[in-house]
Amino acid sequence: MIFIIDDDEVMAECIARYCKGQPTRIFSNAIEAMNAIDDEKPDLIFLDILLDGPDGFTFLNELASYDDTAKIPIVIISSLDFSGQDLSSYGVVGIISKDTMLPEDVKKYV
Amino acid sequence: MEKEVENILLVAHELKAPLAVLRQLALSFEFEDSTNEHIRSEMVSVSERAIRQVNDLSKIARLEDGLFVMEPVSVRAVCDDVTRELNYLFRYHQRDLRVHYHNHARLVTANRDLLYSVVYNFLLNAMHYSGKDTRSELTINEKAGKIRINIRDFGPALPMDVWREMRRGWVEKPTSIAMRPGSSGLGLYIASKFSRYMNANVGAIRHRDGTSFFVDLPVSKQARLF
Repeated sequence: MIFIIDDDEVMAECIARYCKGQPTRIFSNAIEAMNAIDDEKPDLIFLDILLDGPDGFTFLNELASYDDTAKIPIVIISSLDFSGQDLSSYGVVGIISKDTMLPEDVKKYV
Repeated sequence: MEKEVENILLVAHELKAPLAVLRQLALSFEFEDSTNEHIRSEMVSVSERAIRQVNDLSKIARLEDGLFVMEPVSVRAVCDDVTRELNYLFRYHQRDLRVHYHNHARLVTANRDLLYSVVYNFLLNAMHYSGKDTRSELTINEKAGKIRINIRDFGPALPMDVWREMRRGWVEKPTSIAMRPGSSGLGLYIASKFSRYMNANVGAIRHRDGTSFFVDLPVSKQARLF
C-alpha cells in the first residue's frame, strides 16, 4: 500500500496514476494519514510538505518518533527547494520537485 | 520593499501551483487507464481558476485608479451566476453546494465584477476545505441596512492568525497557510481587497465544525428590481 499525502487533490491523483498497478490511498492532510497509519502500515509514502494543518515536517517528526513507523520509506514531493539537504534521518529516501516531476521519477520508488 | 518582495514571492508561489498541476495532467495522458475526458476537464478547470486569479490580481493593481464603477447590483443575480459557474466543480469533486436566499431581490451598492470575485473566492475556498460528500452553504441575509453573503464550510477550523486578520476586516497580505489553486491564502486576500474598495466588510466566524466567511454590503437606496 502506498500513501499519498497532498492537499492538492488533482496533484495527488496524478501521483496515484503514476503508481500504476499499486494500491494507493490519498490523504489531504497529515492528521488523516497519521490516523490511518495506526490501522495500516504503508510500504511507501509520497509526502507533500506544505499542507493544511500540521505540515510535512511535523508528520516526518511524528513518524520518526515511533519504532514501528520510523522505518517507513518516504519520498517528498514538493515545490519547495530541498537541494543539498539530507533528510535521510527522517526516513526520506528521495525528494522530487513538483516543478520538474516526471512519471518515471515516481515509478522508480514504487 | 522587503514586504513587497515577500508578497511577490507568495503570489508567485501560489500561481506556480496550478502550472505544476497542469503539467502533471498533460503528462498523465500517456497512461492507458486514464480517462482522457477526466484529465481534459481537470486541465480546463485548473487553468480557468488560474486565469481568474491572475485577472483578479491585475484588478487589484488597478483599484487605486478607481475605475470600478459602484452601482446598484442584485446580490441574488451575482450569487446565482457564481453558483452556476461553480456547481460543476462542486459536483465534480463530490461536494454539495446549498444555497439559501432569505432575501430575494435586494440591491446593494457594489461593483458587479468585484463582488462576483469575492463570492467566487469564498466559495472556492469552502469547496477546498470541505471534505468529500460534505456540503457548503451560501446564504443571503439582511440585517441593519446591510446585506450579508455568508459562505459556510464544514471543514477544519480557520487558523487563529488568519481569523484575527479577518476579524479586523482586512487581510494585509497573501498568507502562506495554503499555497495551491483555489486556496484561502490568495483568495482571501483578493476578497478582502475588493471588499474594501466597495466599502464592504469581510469577516470570518469559526465554528466547531468549520468556518464561515462573510461580506456585508450596504443596501442600495435604489428601488428593488422585483
